[in-house]
This record gives sequence, C-alpha cells and structure tokens, in this order.
Amino acid sequence: MKKYLFLFIASLFLTSAAFAADSQIWDAMRIQNILEYGQDESLKLGPLFTMLQANYFAQAFLAVLVGVPAVFLLHYLVIGPKVFSHDGKKVYTFSIFNRIVHQIAAISFMVLVPTGFIMIFGANFGGGDFVRMMKDLHGLATISFAIVVIPMFLMWIKDMFLHLDDIKWLMIVGGYLSKTKRPVPAGKFNAGQKTWYWLATLGGMIMILTGASMYFLDFNIAMINSLTGLSQIDLLRVAAILHAVVGLAVVALFFVHIYMSVFVIKGAIHSIITGYKEEEEVKYLHSSWYKKLKKDGKL
Amino acid sequence: MSELAKMKFYCDDQRCIECNSCSVACAEAHELPTGVSRRKVITLNEGIFGKEFSTSVACMHCTDAPCEQVCPVDCFYIREDGIVLHDKEICIGCGYCLYACPFGAPQFPRDGAFGTKGAMDKCTMCAGGPEETNSSAERELYGQNRIAEGKVPMCAAMCSTKALLVGDEQEISTIYRKRVASRGKGVQSAPYGWSEEYSKQ
Repeated sequence: MKKYLFLFIASLFLTSAAFAADSQIWDAMRIQNILEYGQDESLKLGPLFTMLQANYFAQAFLAVLVGVPAVFLLHYLVIGPKVFSHDGKKVYTFSIFNRIVHQIAAISFMVLVPTGFIMIFGANFGGGDFVRMMKDLHGLATISFAIVVIPMFLMWIKDMFLHLDDIKWLMIVGGYLSKTKRPVPAGKFNAGQKTWYWLATLGGMIMILTGASMYFLDFNIAMINSLTGLSQIDLLRVAAILHAVVGLAVVALFFVHIYMSVFVIKGAIHSIITGYKEEEEVKYLHSSWYKKLKKDGKL
Repeated sequence: MSELAKMKFYCDDQRCIECNSCSVACAEAHELPTGVSRRKVITLNEGIFGKEFSTSVACMHCTDAPCEQVCPVDCFYIREDGIVLHDKEICIGCGYCLYACPFGAPQFPRDGAFGTKGAMDKCTMCAGGPEETNSSAERELYGQNRIAEGKVPMCAAMCSTKALLVGDEQEISTIYRKRVASRGKGVQSAPYGWSEEYSKQ
C-alpha cells in the first residue's frame, strides 16, 4: 500500500519537473502542433474531436443517464428482484483488505461520476464557480481511486480470467431474465462481474492517465512522445476522445453494478460491508464456486 | 464599415519580417502575465530555401468557431461583427477549446494551487468581453477595448510593414488582391490558415 503511495507522489514530482521545461504547446512546439491541423498527412484529430464533442458525447451520456435506469426500472417491474434467505449460513467472501480497497474505490466513484456528469452538462449548470468546483473535486477523487486501482487489480485478477461458465452465463444473461430460482453457472465471480472488473481497473487506469494528461495539459514526458509519435496537441485530443468513450462504458457498467448490488439481489450490498455472502445466494448465483467449496469442505 | 461587416485578421506572409512587435505590443497593451501570449509570430518551413515564411497567429475569429462548438459550459459568444469572445466568469478551464482550435490560440494561465488551470485567455481582437464596455472589470479580465473606442487593434496598429491587417473581410480581401496584383510575379497561395478561418462559408 505504502509503496503505491510513494510511487504516486514520485510521479507527481516528475510531472512538476516537466513543467519547468519549455511549454509543449505555446512556444516553439506550437508550429508542430498547429501544422497537424487539417493537412492531408495529419491525423485530423482536431476536426474529429470537434465533431464528436459538438454532436455526440453529451448526447451519448444523456442516453446512458436516462436509458440505463429506465431499462432497470422496467426490469424491476416486470421480472423483479431476486430474494434469498438471509437467515441461513453465511459464506466468507471478501477479506478486510478487499473491503477497504473496494470502499475507497466506491467512494471515489460516487464523487467521480456525478461531478463528471455535471461537467458534461456544464452549460445547464451555468458554468462558473460551481462547475469549476466540481472539476476540482473530480480531480481530487481521482487521487484516492488511483491509490487503490492497482491493489484492486491485483487482489482479484486470479479469479477474473475467462471460464467456460462465463459463456453459459452470458447465454442466459445470468438468469436475470427469468423469475425462477435456478443454479446459475458461475465461479466466485460471474461473467458480468468479470466484465465490470476489467473495465473498472484497466478502463479506470485509462481514465486516470487521459484525465491526468488533460489536467496537466502542458507536460513533457519524452517517453510518451517517442512512443506514440504524436504532437502534444494530438496527444491531448486522443486523451479527450478516449476519456469520453471509455468513460461512457465505465459509467454504464457502474450503473449496472449499483442496480445489481442494491436493487436486484436483495441485500447483496452487505457482502462488501461485512464480508459475508448468504449461502443461498452463493448456491444459486455462484453454483460452480458453491460446488467447489462443498467439495473442499469449506462450508 | 457596413452593418454586415465581418471582422477578420490577415497576416501577409510576404511582408512579415518576424520582428515580434505585434506580440510585444499585445502583451503590453493588455498587461498579460508572463506565460500568456495571445499573439505569436511563427516561422514555418524554417531553413527550407524559398519556402520559409513567417506569420503572426492569434485567435483568428473563425466563422464556424470550433471552440464555440466544443465548450461544455457554452462560455463563447460570437458578436454580430464576427468577433469571437468568451466569458471568463463562466469558463471552467477544461481545455477543450484548445484541442479544437486550429491555431493553438487558447491560453491557460496556471494560477491555481497544484497546477490547476485558470480561465482560458485568448485574443479578443481588442474588443474586451461581456462586462460593461471600458469598465475596470472588463479591463482587468480581458484587457483594453480598443474596438469600442474606434481604434485599430494594438497588434495591427503596431505592425511596421503593415503585414498584419484587421478589419471588414471585404476590405481586407480588396487590399489582399491589390497586393497580389502589384507583385505581378510568382504563384500566390492562399494565406496560411485561411481555409480554416473562413471554413464552410
């Protein structure tokens, strides 16, 4: 844990050292940066970013913000939640380390997602001090998420690789489209959870890197420049486009994650607070893991 | 000037001698902090014989301003005479206008703690901002409002070779055509950046 903190602080020092160098945007580099624009041999990322940002990004986020909860409401009304007995035995699933790491990430997300939405629809909030404060909060919450994203990635990775169960799980959409209680093929984590894990950790890292480059704007990291071959301004355009596209996916699955843990599987959220899952819940929703636990005599 | 006048900059790259006085005059007139240069003289194709030229770039007050299209808080507004201005009280300093700009015009003074970006700063064509004209608040945030006083913007007024011109686009193109005709030799390509500046007209 401490190691990551040191790494993070060290990287902050590195970026501030980069500031001391010449501007990558407005000094001599400006020629290289603006030459890219509109020329045949350039990547034309400027017009691409302008077109996407002006016509599609805000609308896509609005569609997710309204559409995903609407689908869930329909699902809740038509099919309804899965209720499992909370009186039976419990299965210890998440260690204290798992829970702390998850909670820090959860709190970070609860700040990151609303502040991000406020920035996307900044014009509706009138811009100015309020939206500026949300932007700063967005940046601050990134720090706590950045601290836990690597521990989170490492602590669950061994359970997250693709398994035959996952394909079966996907074929029946995890059994969430039927009202009957049937054992669903899944290990400790089901295919939905695995998708969310990869998106939240790897996607989250992309969000941190692209967000940081837009925040620091005028940095000079020779490694990135030589690796990508992009001019500073094109690098920022790529960052802005990626931040919106990956952000859209992260937000959509974040909503799914909340809906599953809070609404659909009644009381499932307690497992990440206390560390214990209901035995009946494990038996049906993580049937392969349940069988394995039984076989190993861990129940 | 007619009521339909659209204000444009034009820098004649055959005349620009890279003296940088436009840039210095701008910074002094608007009392810009160090690290912010609304106008900059750049030399393209440096060292390539016959192709090297210098030109002065700032906000070109584009017809279909990309900055205005991408701003998430809609802080930009385009005056009737085509001057593209923005409201610093609304700007959140996200930097999107810089990514969209073909000229690298938006500037971000790094005034906050931990390197937070302040409100964007750019050339106003010496036309101030949304605050009351010639008020001290306007001067503080955006610099002089020379247009309101009937004066030519500082950079063009200062230009010793009259390479940098500003005014109604009709007038400017008349002068441009006269200059091209009087040279009477060589191939004259369109001035740098014009295709972007006058896009989709």
